[in-house]
Amino acid sequence: MSKPKITDSLEFPSDLNVTKSLFGVGVVGLLASGVGYFLEHDQFFFSYLVSFAFFSSIALASLFFVMLQHLTRSEWSAVLRRIPETISSNIWIWALFIIPVLLGMHSLYHWTHAEAVAHDPVLQGKQPYLNTPFFIIRQVIYFGLWSFLGYRMYNKSVKMDDTGDWGLQTLLRRTSGPGIFFFAITLAFASFDWLMALDPHWYSTIFGVYYFAMSFQGLFAAMILIVFFLWRKGLLTSTIKDGHIYDLGVQMFGFTIFYAYIAFSQFLLIYYANIPEETVWYLERLSGGYEYLAYFYLFGRFVIPFIVLLPKWTKSSYKIVGTVSALILASHLVELYWIVMPVLNHHGFHLNWMTITSFLGLGGIFFGLFFYRFKQNKMVPINDPKLADSLNKH
Amino acid sequence: MEADNKQVYGVLAEFRNPKELVDAASSVKKSGYKDFDTYAPFPIHGMEKAMGLKNSPLGWIVLGGALTGMIGALALMIWVMGYEYPMNISGKPFINLPIYVPITFELTVLLSAFAATFGMIALNKLPRFHNPLFNVERFEKASDDGFFVCIEASDDLFSEEKVTKLFQDNGATHIETVYDSE
Repeated sequence: MSKPKITDSLEFPSDLNVTKSLFGVGVVGLLASGVGYFLEHDQFFFSYLVSFAFFSSIALASLFFVMLQHLTRSEWSAVLRRIPETISSNIWIWALFIIPVLLGMHSLYHWTHAEAVAHDPVLQGKQPYLNTPFFIIRQVIYFGLWSFLGYRMYNKSVKMDDTGDWGLQTLLRRTSGPGIFFFAITLAFASFDWLMALDPHWYSTIFGVYYFAMSFQGLFAAMILIVFFLWRKGLLTSTIKDGHIYDLGVQMFGFTIFYAYIAFSQFLLIYYANIPEETVWYLERLSGGYEYLAYFYLFGRFVIPFIVLLPKWTKSSYKIVGTVSALILASHLVELYWIVMPVLNHHGFHLNWMTITSFLGLGGIFFGLFFYRFKQNKMVPINDPKLADSLNKH
Repeated sequence: MEADNKQVYGVLAEFRNPKELVDAASSVKKSGYKDFDTYAPFPIHGMEKAMGLKNSPLGWIVLGGALTGMIGALALMIWVMGYEYPMNISGKPFINLPIYVPITFELTVLLSAFAATFGMIALNKLPRFHNPLFNVERFEKASDDGFFVCIEASDDLFSEEKVTKLFQDNGATHIETVYDSE
């Protein structure tokens, strides 16, 4: 086995001040939102939850992606793997950002109101699951598991950079098997807790898969944009090649269809059966101005990406792939907003400035953490036995 | 053996290895021949480029199938359920796109698959029970260890001497004229 030839520098340049500026944006955004808390505290928590669900979805999809690549022993992705690895290594810090959601439970979740539950047999029936202590315990379990998996995936992979011990590969593969199993369960329940429990009377058994499908499609868009950002800074320009962007584009295209399939499956069954307690969720979200958001994400993350990414040449055009990725991420945010916000503003669509500040705030922190960690190690798993094949992609 | 009235099908040349085959293919292309093909026991990377092959039109055929399926399904359902025989199904509108999606999707996929399968068969000019190349005994090696180029007589530039010369210049190990079997 020949040693992979890499001509680029693999260290993230320390004179690039991305981290500082991102953390700056993050702190300012969160402080601004914090001011909003004193003005309209319900709005603050709902706006926060939208952004929290958005960035958590990217982090969790990264963790899934890394475990999947280990399980399938993928060669194509070896050169890209450090990006999602780094994102998932930060989940243990990101876990702190669930705290505002826990503090805002009374604003966010109707079922935390004891007097409401007392008059409501449906909520009484759900009380063994939907109650404050168990909710908090569940968040601890989720983030405990994800932090462990995320940090281990990153830590062992970085260790392999130094020691070149290929046994670590096997170790990570063994972690990934059960890891992906528990990840699937916790992700589904987390999506029930964060988003579905906003409407405690409503339920959809496919909701966990729906959140996962959204997240995984969003991850490919985010990875493509991160690679473009690195390229623009002149990093890894001859290490990550056209073939890798093409592969990411193909996966993004595939999961665009998967997402549409799942999202439409959820919609169609509810629409067709027409049972009042189920349709009311869509009724609220397809009236009062929210229907335009629904059309936006329908076109933004399915119709347009599907048609545009269908031919081969568009998936290797940086401009087209980059634009579609940005559109998909925007639609992802709009869709989460569309899921969360009608619970608060059920009389009609109304955009509050806090939604923007909390998005910038959490986004700044999220990517600040990413680049902070990304700087600490090589940008490519240098001793990975699959790297040579990944580099020789055509 | 070969009688004079037999038609020349083309000239077949054998090369030592994939590398030489690719080089030969690109010099055949550079000399301006269009009706030629290469034969090897396995797919060779870079051969499409060397031969100057264009993208297969199959994608467009599949797109045609897909659009036919989509438009056909929608038109049928809108006509039947909207105009010809409207039925009230739990109070929903007669022309109701969300409910049409599964059938539209299925028919789109079905006709795409048909277009892909039959389009591929047609583009490969199948079914074809005999190829004049099978008259050459050596050609059996193409599925074992032989690397062949054949320039066909249907090419405008074709002349046996010139083609033979071209192959010799490229280092062919074996050159043979192929005749139609009639």
